[in-house]
Amino acid sequence: MTGPGPRRRPPGRSEVIAILAVMGDRVPDEVTEEIGSLEMAWLISQVEERYATTLELDDDALRQMTTVSGAVATIHQMLAGTEDG
Amino acid sequence: MTEYPGEWVSDALLAGDPGDPCLWMGGPLTRGELASLVNARQSLLESAGLRPGGTAAIQLPPSLEFVAVLLAAWRIGAQVSLLDHRLVRREVAGALDRLAPQVLVTAESVATAALAGYAKAVARAESRPDGRAAGTPHVLIQLSSGSTGPSKIIARTAADLLAELGRYAQFEEYPRPGERIVVLASMVHVLGLVGGLLHGLHAGVELVFPDRLTADGIRGAVAAGRRPTMVLGVPFHAELLTTGGAPLPSLRRMVVAGELVRPWLPARFTAAYGVPLGTMYGMTELGVIATDLSGRNAPAVAPAPGMSLRVADGELLVRMPASPYIGLIDGTRWADGWLHTRDAASIDPATGLVTILGRLDSQISVGGLKVDLTEVEQALCALPDVDSAVVTFDAAIEAYLVLRDGGQVSDVESALAEQLSAYKRPRRLLVLNALPRTATGKISRDRAVLRAAFEAPRSERRTP
Repeated sequence: MTGPGPRRRPPGRSEVIAILAVMGDRVPDEVTEEIGSLEMAWLISQVEERYATTLELDDDALRQMTTVSGAVATIHQMLAGTEDG
Repeated sequence: MTEYPGEWVSDALLAGDPGDPCLWMGGPLTRGELASLVNARQSLLESAGLRPGGTAAIQLPPSLEFVAVLLAAWRIGAQVSLLDHRLVRREVAGALDRLAPQVLVTAESVATAALAGYAKAVARAESRPDGRAAGTPHVLIQLSSGSTGPSKIIARTAADLLAELGRYAQFEEYPRPGERIVVLASMVHVLGLVGGLLHGLHAGVELVFPDRLTADGIRGAVAAGRRPTMVLGVPFHAELLTTGGAPLPSLRRMVVAGELVRPWLPARFTAAYGVPLGTMYGMTELGVIATDLSGRNAPAVAPAPGMSLRVADGELLVRMPASPYIGLIDGTRWADGWLHTRDAASIDPATGLVTILGRLDSQISVGGLKVDLTEVEQALCALPDVDSAVVTFDAAIEAYLVLRDGGQVSDVESALAEQLSAYKRPRRLLVLNALPRTATGKISRDRAVLRAAFEAPRSERRTP
């Protein structure tokens, strides 16, 4: 994790789904639990942009990012790491 | 005339100053270093029995190893089939049955970090005693999913590839010697292969593959060099980059192809970076056909030098003297010197500019990867648990299906995973009691009708 990053509340499940829904102009209901590789790139890019930081995700963390629940937890962990530091 | 079949590789792709930068994958590689690697892979392939006029299939992820093995096989004078590294075992088996390569190259070990712009692979070459020598003079074979029957075998000669490189060299706004391309498009498919890899090698343009395919990672790859830089990708990548923005002094333009660009995207991209978002239109059969590299004609494109286009019955046809297909006598795809693109288009008679309007068949594009929905539907309907199914696409591939008695969605999902690559599989399986039909009794393919049937009160649907 790099960059100063403002102290903002990490995104919750509904926010993560809302970010994913923007890709492909979907309604939140159309977002599936499984996250594909393009969606993952989109989600990480959006979170990095909003929180002005770089999420340094290792292979394990990236594997966690393949579901919405896993992504919410992983992003929380990553952003909390910054605040603690 | 060339003195030996693979001479074009040395002359057109590997010539130049050995000290010049050539590829960047986590670090720099010069043309001389690439040439040494190609020599080593040539020995590997020759040890596996590959000879001039022989055949090899390469199934490697985009990687330095892929580049070296491809160039080595071509320099030997072999015919090379490219198989997408994401194909599942059944798809690979089907392809090998049809292509019968004498040598199969796969990854002995591969480290692909998720989101990386390239993989680190080590190739293994395996001799296939039942393989057949090349029956045609083509050097490149690619398979395309077909809407009916087996996939098409698309073949190109070295002369055809060199002619396409000649077109790229004539595009004034395409990177010139000494410049850079940040390549986001897959090298295994025509855009990244010819517009990226081969053009870079041919024209002396450095090819940069980002460590990470996120907006930040791509911007970092652009910012890492001071020489004029173009980004080559699919529209998704441009959308990704418009999520933010940062001054990128070396960026000259981004060029995308592979699917239609959403109307708002070029202006938004230019607002973020102050440079144009250009587009290209092409096909696996021919490579680049028409371009709008400056973004001035959006959404129209101008035919590339030497390309002759016309519209018949709403379909775009491209002049092509010989059929690009092997083993296919299908007049609906190529006839009388014209390639039928299956794309709806209009041509402005005053300017000759072409506007692509969309597909006339069931082929869709997911992040630039072509998928025929008929292939997905057929795979689904062939499963023992599935009675009938309709596959649709809007933002993602979805399947509406009727299960046989006792059928379970989880069983359908796991069975489908053995049949189709992940990018072809429906993101959602929506179970219905019966597929809705039109007034004339045909199964409806209207997404609104299908969605309404799915959202009907549960009491009206059978619980799976």
